[in-house]
Amino acid sequence: MVNDEQKHSPQIPKRSSPIQSGPAEINGQKVDPIFSPRFRSVVAMAGWDEEALLIASLRRSPASIPAVVLNLDDDDSPKKDREENKKELKIDQNDKKMEDGEKHALKSAVSCSSSAIPCMDKLREELSCAICLEICFEPSTTACGHSFCKKCLRSAADKCGKRCPKCRQLISNGRSCTVNTVLWNTIQLLFPKEVEARKATGVLNSREAEHESPARVSRYSVRNRTIEALNSPEGGSHSTERRRRSSQNIGIRIVRPSHSGGSSSRGDGTTRRRRGEVLPVQNEDAALALRLQREEFMVAFRGSDEQHRLARANLRAMATRAMNGRIRNRAT
Amino acid sequence: MNSAGTSTGVGGGGRSWPSRTSLSASGKRIQKELAELHLDPPPECSAGPKGDNLYNWVATLIGFPGTPYQGGIYFLDITFPIDYPFKPPKVVFKTRIYHCNVDSAGNVSLDILKDGWSPALTILKVLLALRSIFTNPDPYKPLIPGIAHLYLADRAKHDELAAEWTLRFAR
Repeated sequence: MVNDEQKHSPQIPKRSSPIQSGPAEINGQKVDPIFSPRFRSVVAMAGWDEEALLIASLRRSPASIPAVVLNLDDDDSPKKDREENKKELKIDQNDKKMEDGEKHALKSAVSCSSSAIPCMDKLREELSCAICLEICFEPSTTACGHSFCKKCLRSAADKCGKRCPKCRQLISNGRSCTVNTVLWNTIQLLFPKEVEARKATGVLNSREAEHESPARVSRYSVRNRTIEALNSPEGGSHSTERRRRSSQNIGIRIVRPSHSGGSSSRGDGTTRRRRGEVLPVQNEDAALALRLQREEFMVAFRGSDEQHRLARANLRAMATRAMNGRIRNRAT
Repeated sequence: MNSAGTSTGVGGGGRSWPSRTSLSASGKRIQKELAELHLDPPPECSAGPKGDNLYNWVATLIGFPGTPYQGGIYFLDITFPIDYPFKPPKVVFKTRIYHCNVDSAGNVSLDILKDGWSPALTILKVLLALRSIFTNPDPYKPLIPGIAHLYLADRAKHDELAAEWTLRFAR
């Protein structure tokens, strides 16, 4: 992460250095008594200017700004958008899989036959793939009218010859089988749990097969997009600029906590803490910092719908990555 | 023996699986078949894993009444290939039988276990097919031509011999 952030913002050190080196300038201003030096240095590194700090400090109640809670589960686009945003949907589904995957994997065998329709068991039998004996996943129908999972039918055509597994009629094109959409939609409506479970296991399998290096590459690309998304909002030029600077500097602040200004301020902080008088001030400052950050996020996410979706997608991707990592760790 | 390791017996078999948590496609399918066999057991036969290994089963067939094999209990070994159901399971008679389609080593000449295999077939169907060759031996595709010849030429003598073998080996 460190290298990555630095790679993407090579110009920052130059820009932020005057701010960092100039706590004296800030010292001279009215801000001085309000903020602890440590907070000031952090603020300087974050790229927040004194004006913003003052304005923010005037309304010092953190409750005034709502926490930005993004609902990652809900797709913000209604069903209409689905065809248009298949990629988005995929990410969304992936995420749901991640979250529900384990639960579903556990109870995949004990599935929902207790549904409203009385002939559910018959339906289950009817809609099962004769090859894997599970509910058809992305069913493909042969010319002779028999349906199997697309994957199963493909494997059967590869390994057993191009004949229908049910009736042994010739399958014309076993390789390029298409999904029977009506059947697939019906199955998804009737057996949502089974379909989810199947998707989850599919993801797990693909993750096992996945190599380490390509995964890393994709991870980087996702992060790049995250940064782009943060930087992209096209609002007023000034505010955008400030936002960009600050978002980049957040990275820097995380990356190098013990850098020049930081280290000096830390020494400052420790000596003061020994005296035991600064803690309340620091708490207040922390609250203010939190609020400022929230404000920043608010602005960042207040952009157009498109931005919103992108940001969500990125957050989902990040969550997915985190889950992936955890699962991989557990596996090893 | 055949009902013990239904869903738990996956881990410590002789063969090695991809992983314990995510069962392979073949393993899943075999488990499904096992569950179905338990739910709706076929008449006069049974099948299930030998031990912990899901891919090695043992099956029993009971000699069909009205045939010279009546009263006999026949044990069969069923071995699933790792790419089951795309490849047929291997079925071997462990009990000796006087039958033109079963050789002395217990190998069965059954079309659906060779070229006639289809991934849509299940063990249940294989068992039913095996049962049907008890009643209707196929002397035109024999493994032991002598028995097939006798079956065609002197059915009474054939049946007598078969009954004798049943008495001797399958009780």
